[in-house]
Amino acid sequence: MNAPVKPGAVSAGALLIPLPDPAIRFEQVGKTYPGRRGQQPVAALAGIDLDVPAGSILGVIGRSGAGKSTLIRLVNGLERATSGRILIEGEDVTGLNEAGWRRQRRQIGMIFQHFNLLSSRTVFDNVALPLEIAGTPRAAIAAKVERLLALVGLADKSARYPSELSGGQKQRVGIARALATDPKVLLCDEATSALDPETTRSILALLRQVNRELGITILLITHEIPVIKEICDRVAVIEGGRIVEQGETFSVFTDPQHPTTARFVEAVTGVEVPAHLEGQIRAEARDGDSLVLRITFTGENATAPVISRLSSVVGVDVNILAGRIDAIAGQPFGSLLVSVPSRLPESDAVLGALKSLGLKAEVIGHVS
Amino acid sequence: MSPEIIRLIVQSTLDTLTMVAVAAGIGTLLGLPLGVFLATSKRGELFAAPAANALLGVLVNATRSTPFIILVVAIIPFTRLLAGTSIGTAAAIVPLTVASTPFIARLIEGAVREVDQGLVEAARAMGATPVQIVRKVLVPEALPAIVLGLTLAVVSLIGFSAMVGAVGGGGLGDLGIRYGYQRFMPDVMATVVAVLIVLVQLVQSFGDRLARRLNKRLRHA
Repeated sequence: MNAPVKPGAVSAGALLIPLPDPAIRFEQVGKTYPGRRGQQPVAALAGIDLDVPAGSILGVIGRSGAGKSTLIRLVNGLERATSGRILIEGEDVTGLNEAGWRRQRRQIGMIFQHFNLLSSRTVFDNVALPLEIAGTPRAAIAAKVERLLALVGLADKSARYPSELSGGQKQRVGIARALATDPKVLLCDEATSALDPETTRSILALLRQVNRELGITILLITHEIPVIKEICDRVAVIEGGRIVEQGETFSVFTDPQHPTTARFVEAVTGVEVPAHLEGQIRAEARDGDSLVLRITFTGENATAPVISRLSSVVGVDVNILAGRIDAIAGQPFGSLLVSVPSRLPESDAVLGALKSLGLKAEVIGHVS
Repeated sequence: MSPEIIRLIVQSTLDTLTMVAVAAGIGTLLGLPLGVFLATSKRGELFAAPAANALLGVLVNATRSTPFIILVVAIIPFTRLLAGTSIGTAAAIVPLTVASTPFIARLIEGAVREVDQGLVEAARAMGATPVQIVRKVLVPEALPAIVLGLTLAVVSLIGFSAMVGAVGGGGLGDLGIRYGYQRFMPDVMATVVAVLIVLVQLVQSFGDRLARRLNKRLRHA
């Protein structure tokens, strides 16, 4: 008997191994807004194909107006797709009516750039709101809210009003509120864009913790590449309403295919040529010049003892001009700008040694 | 002033308070849902009903653009139908309510429209029904502004209530016209004005205080 093949099933010989349904799946999703009087309709999104694997954190990055807000709002029905299908845990939600969406939304938490806390309610009552809406009994609400506030580290702020909290604390309340109904999916709409870098890191750490400990799938949108670098397992780059590149964060960052992606990741991966050298670097070599190389370290090679190897094995002096070692999605990644003697045969020996170490080296130019 | 006059002033003050309180009470009961509906029923809003919104908008504007003294006279048949008479304090409540309801509705519409749309979106994302959004988000968040609006409405009603004296409505305004002006008793006129000033002051400062207490957006010491 032939079992119907579910989307996402892989056939291994005669055996069908069903893959777990992705938490969220977009299939050829489009969203077109009707044009205002006498104007053309506006396509906000077109041909979106995207899987958010269950239990993962996927980040969608794009500039403002790229369509990321619309994309995230399609998942909880705040916006409706005009073409294609959206599946949540394998269930097609595209045709749901408003009542169906209301039930669905109780399974999906959402946090916002400007927190959207009710100023008239205390921290406790803000977190209790989704439970009140779902009709949870009072006693159960109190126990649940206490537990959530402890989870986000605000147990002592229960009776405070949002106006008495800092931005980071407000977002923690937002996270506690979003988790109140035990959702399987958490949507983050530019959740850290209104926060300073340090607070951003602490909120991202909390999101990572929530993802790991509660197994919640997170779909986030952002225009800040550090957010993707810090916590996203996968990334999708959106531009002009289309996804131009997607994949695992580390591979997208270390080997971007699309120019937009390259521009985004440059800020966190590339080492720019220091300003004082920029004018001195020439394309063609002159006598006595040094060769400027950019060496890229990825994965296990990131810790290779490259400098000592070059000086001891090849016997050349290596001059470090700039560099950084960092982690992308938890994997080490580094990039180093160096100058080495440009005369043969040393320069060839250097390039050969780098190659044998499995490092990517790119010639930037020559400097005297 | 004779004890008789003092008794009249006390009685008129009570009449004014009754008229204003009842008219403001009924006006709020009717104006609150009307205002919330006006604030949430345009195209694409929570209770989208653009035709009903436009119709009610016209009705509200028509009532508000009719000078109060003309409204009082124009709706006499309606007043007689409701109150059984067109003279006296009870009858005066009818035009006062008719005038205050659209006024209060507009004030409440404005207060509700001031609520951050992000909060409505957050509530929708939680799976709230439109009615839940109104009860748990829009009205509580708009409450400080609603209280200030109602304060303004009560102050205006105190002013309007002076005019119903023209049709035998009683109250302080009536007393001021009949005794202070027509019988030329400046002391009565001065007392009436003083009592009105005190009333308005009390209402305004009570409203301001209440609104400030309800407003959790400000940090309290």
